[in-house]
Amino acid sequence: MASDLITEKLSFQVKSFQESFEILTNSISLNGMAKQFDKILRGNFFTTKVNIFHRDKNSPKWTNLINKNVFQHQSEVENFDELALKIVANSDSSELFTITKLIDSKLIAIVLGKKFDGTSYSEIDKITFQIFIQIFDSAYQVLLSRGKEKKLIFSLNNRVSQLYSLIDTGIEISKIRFGNDLLELALSRAIALTNSSYGRIKVTNKKGNIDEIHFPPNIIYGKPKVKFRLIKKFVDVGIEYEFTLCEKESREGIIQFEDTDELLLGAIARQVQAAIENDRANKEALENETMKRELAVAASIQKRILPEKLPTIDGYDISGINIPSKEVSGDYYNVFKLEDGRYAVIVADVTGKGMPAALLVSTLDASLRSYLDFHIPLSEMAVKMNTIIYKSSTADKFITFLIAVLNPENGDIDIINAGHNPALILRKNNKIEKIDAGGVAFGMFDMGLPFASEKLNLKKGERLFIFSDGIPEAMDKKEVEYTDERLEKYFVEVKPKSASEFISSIVADVRSHTKGEIQSDDITALYLIRQ
Amino acid sequence: MVKDFDLTSKMVNNVLVIKTEGYINNSGGEKIAQAFEEPFNSGVTKLLIDIENSKVVNSIGISFLIEIIEKLNSKGGKLYFTNLDPSIEKTFTIMGLFQFAEKVASIDDIK
Repeated sequence: MASDLITEKLSFQVKSFQESFEILTNSISLNGMAKQFDKILRGNFFTTKVNIFHRDKNSPKWTNLINKNVFQHQSEVENFDELALKIVANSDSSELFTITKLIDSKLIAIVLGKKFDGTSYSEIDKITFQIFIQIFDSAYQVLLSRGKEKKLIFSLNNRVSQLYSLIDTGIEISKIRFGNDLLELALSRAIALTNSSYGRIKVTNKKGNIDEIHFPPNIIYGKPKVKFRLIKKFVDVGIEYEFTLCEKESREGIIQFEDTDELLLGAIARQVQAAIENDRANKEALENETMKRELAVAASIQKRILPEKLPTIDGYDISGINIPSKEVSGDYYNVFKLEDGRYAVIVADVTGKGMPAALLVSTLDASLRSYLDFHIPLSEMAVKMNTIIYKSSTADKFITFLIAVLNPENGDIDIINAGHNPALILRKNNKIEKIDAGGVAFGMFDMGLPFASEKLNLKKGERLFIFSDGIPEAMDKKEVEYTDERLEKYFVEVKPKSASEFISSIVADVRSHTKGEIQSDDITALYLIRQ
Repeated sequence: MVKDFDLTSKMVNNVLVIKTEGYINNSGGEKIAQAFEEPFNSGVTKLLIDIENSKVVNSIGISFLIEIIEKLNSKGGKLYFTNLDPSIEKTFTIMGLFQFAEKVASIDDIK
């Protein structure tokens, strides 16, 4: 056939070629292209059947992309020349066959069946078929390019999404109080970000007890055996948090984790660690704030209870001091003038400090004021007060208590010591008397145990010293105590004219012993001189 | 390993409604694609995925959803999502799903 004639005939089909290319490039898969190509070939060649097979380069198996017909052209494939696009016709040219290699090395084999009118395929049909094959090849290249472009866009979008998710996870973690909800959120985000199949967080406490959190929640970790895993752990105040991600997914199956996955898991683990640290800092700040408020309330209670000024007793000089070791002392002292003209001199020491101690001191002060006005014997009053303190306090709280009721007219003193440091009396002959008669501290037992009082007389020039254990137990840097012996020696040797001088000087002596060391206990003292 | 994903599907008028439960990952995405395939080949072109009980989705699961969107679009159909968790909605937006799919409050919003 003359080339001019071929050119002329083909020129009539240019539009058909263009439309075919557009149709094929609109397909989203090789199968879709094959289905469209089937229609195009049938329409252009008026053929009864079309078969389109494909085979991956390294696969021996041919797959029919249109129907289930089996591939029956093995001999043609064996003679296939990769470099030449050849159209093979059967003996009477009633069928055409070709095989071509696509850009990604896939092989495509196409069979054109008999024409409806029974005529043979002409030379121009073979050329037209060849052009359609080239159009299919070009459209397939477009499909692959579009696929690559889609993959690239997907990958870029996925990276942006990972970044946003990481930021959002950090924000959400910072909003949730630390607990299982926070760990579940962190784990599920780490799993989604890294395309893991599943994972867990194992929390091992100091005693070796283990808690586990899984995502998805119903997963049984490690069954079947994990092929690929990614682990990140950190320790916070002795508790170990271990993050494990298992089996990175891909469309082709399970794959090894990448460096980016390790970075993402590390970032989320650090966010959790920061949340744990923040939670602890917040709790501490809250506790400190609560403690400060509690101490402020306790201090105001104590301010109302402790005397601003002691009463003046004719013929006597009395002075007292209370130096708390913390903001609020657990010690108590006071001097009351009773209705019958006598004076009650009291020193007490509550176990503990702060609000609980202040409340107990408040109870002691209130009950003391009530009972002193009833003029009941001290021993009876002590029993009643013990019962009140016992009922008002917890098992670990009790009060050591010493009361001396002084008749200023004759110097008679009635004393009860309930578990407190002994009161000291310095006689004219420079001898010390220790008063520890009484019973156990208030609040320890409520079994009706008796409290025995002791009566004595303070003569002119004699001195009475009542103190709390904060003086003899004051410690220096090496934890060496001031001691009862040093206190008694000081009491004997230092006899200033005024009670306040003695109080100031013994406090200075204690300070010289502790050498600036932080005061470990409250210091309370009362000093009485009969003039 | 126990089941970590489940779904139910039903036809409501001409809309295929798939309700998911659990992690939409490779196996979850594959199950959605399988549930979609037969109705789609039978001519269904509207799919509503109720994602209320799925709070976590990974990019492999999303790739299955994109394929479904492409198939529906090639037939002039559409994919709809309802009951989206805010974090998943943000992920879908970044991944470009809402260029071709739509979020709706309920099936009544599908015309």
